[in-house]
Amino acid sequence: MPQIELAGKTYEVDEDGFLQELDKWNEEFAQAYAHTEDIQGTLTEEHWKIINYLRSYFQQFGIAPMVRKVCKDNGIDMKKLYELFPTGPAKGGCKLAGLSKPTGCV
Amino acid sequence: MNRRLKPSDIASVSDCLCHIGPGELTPLPSPYEDFNQIALSPLKPEKIKNIETSLDDTVAIGIPKPATKEEDEALVRQFLSGLKKLFEKENNWTFLQPLMLSMEHCAKCQTCSNACPVFEMSGRKEIYRPIFRSEVLRRIYRKYLKLGGKITAKLTGDLDLNWTTIARLAELSYRCTLCRRCAAVCPIGVDNGLINHEIRKLFSQEMGIAPKEIHEKGSVQHLRVGSSTGMNPMAAKDSAEFIQEEMEEITGYKVDIPWDVEGADILLLHNAGEMLAWPENVGAFAIIFQAAGISWTMSSEAAGYDAVNYGLWYDDVQFSRVAIKHADIARRLKVKKIVIGECGHAHKALTVIADRLLTGDLNIPRESAMVTLEDIVMSGKLKFDPGKNNFPVTLHDPCNVVRAMGIVEPQRNILRKIAPQFREMTPHGVENYCCGGGSGFAIMSGYNFAEWRNLVSSRKKFLQILEAFHDEPQEVPKYVCAPCSNCKGSIRDIINYYHAEERSSLYYGGLVELIVNALDGMKKPIIRFGDKPSWE
Repeated sequence: MPQIELAGKTYEVDEDGFLQELDKWNEEFAQAYAHTEDIQGTLTEEHWKIINYLRSYFQQFGIAPMVRKVCKDNGIDMKKLYELFPTGPAKGGCKLAGLSKPTGCV
Repeated sequence: MNRRLKPSDIASVSDCLCHIGPGELTPLPSPYEDFNQIALSPLKPEKIKNIETSLDDTVAIGIPKPATKEEDEALVRQFLSGLKKLFEKENNWTFLQPLMLSMEHCAKCQTCSNACPVFEMSGRKEIYRPIFRSEVLRRIYRKYLKLGGKITAKLTGDLDLNWTTIARLAELSYRCTLCRRCAAVCPIGVDNGLINHEIRKLFSQEMGIAPKEIHEKGSVQHLRVGSSTGMNPMAAKDSAEFIQEEMEEITGYKVDIPWDVEGADILLLHNAGEMLAWPENVGAFAIIFQAAGISWTMSSEAAGYDAVNYGLWYDDVQFSRVAIKHADIARRLKVKKIVIGECGHAHKALTVIADRLLTGDLNIPRESAMVTLEDIVMSGKLKFDPGKNNFPVTLHDPCNVVRAMGIVEPQRNILRKIAPQFREMTPHGVENYCCGGGSGFAIMSGYNFAEWRNLVSSRKKFLQILEAFHDEPQEVPKYVCAPCSNCKGSIRDIINYYHAEERSSLYYGGLVELIVNALDGMKKPIIRFGDKPSWE
């Protein structure tokens, strides 16, 4: 299992860099990981809103929500969402939120 | 200089048994020539430190290397024990007879080799030849399981059994998409696809070796939480509710997705991946069924909202667990029949293979959605304006629906009625070519496997699609209709990988979307070329 070191801590990730130990997620992880997903500087309140939304949806339903749903529930459009997470909400957003990679025929 | 690789070479230790060099793959036409010199990206050393990579340029499973000589020997013994079981009635009642026939009767005429898209597109690499891996298994079987086999091996073809042989054979069983085009052309009925399936089965059932996407994250997760996507029953209902809202917004049609309706005529089983990646497919089914006044339901019980049965590809035990669950849910809901949505492997799993498993009141009638939809479209209950689908359309035939089950005409009858510019690929129907994502490949993307798929196993399909539209101007939007989730996944990946939306205006989707797009009374079209789908 590959590992990455962020802000002095070691995390187990899959080969695409998705966190494998979901309970080890913390805010430092998200912040330290942000630059690999093309986010410059400090995560803003808008980023946290989406990250927290993704995490709470995942905790309840076991999956990441459809992207359109992310937009609707947070009152933003697709363009804005891609501005926040340039590598895409499904990849960058979920990675920072510590969600596992989508599985099944998707 | 380039000695032709022999099956016995699989046992010789080396770093890489087969390498595809730049320019060796079948060339692509204009405007894709820039891809013709591309070779697979090298595997990253830090990711393959302790795994077996000696077959070719990619990795599907990632089998850990044995740490000690003892471990190595124990694995060889385990393999032989599994092999023995494949040839015992009590341990392989499902497939023993066709396996025996295929093991005993191959005449090595090579008709199958010419039919195999992976072999052809790879530049005819020996290891991808359909009979290569069969011959490896056949030689091990003869030498180690048959009386006097070690003596006759000298005459009929020898092969050393060591860990290298086994590790490579396991990986090699995931270089074939189980499309069974080889089996369909064999003049004596040998089924090299089945032999490949049995190899996968041996590794999974006896040794716990299988790609994590189809086992751990696939069938195991399916049985644990209710869906291979990870969706629990609440998530399925939440997603469906959202799809209803979206459908109304997109088409102006208010649709209700019914849940757990006891005694409904139809239990509709979708591949749950549709709900997340192609929700318009789920929405379009609901619109058609509702508009036609069909009595139907979905099930919110765990596994009841996910038609997939990945066990079909690699493990009879996992397969049976899921198939029985599906049938039992239908039995308790007291539905008249199960209809399987646009998911190819679920078709074969529940209708064909499960037929030997489902007895008594579990043997509920099971039907392909192609047939159900044909009945609806031809019934005259719905009014269509085919002019709304006035763009070039071609049809991809999912191997499991078409070649395996012979369901060829229903989807075509529909298209002839609603898609005025429908044209066939060459060849098509039961002679079709696989999308390249069959048998789990579409969802396997570890290491550089997705790249191997796009470059090698999906290449023939890409050529076929380009050929079907070759007389159309570049800028005209073109629709590849692929009524199967897995096929859609690999066609989506082909389009992205080769930039085919930009270069050829290629789009893809299912069959029900085309039906709804032509339906009278919809305020807005469900198919909107060029718009980013709202769920991506």
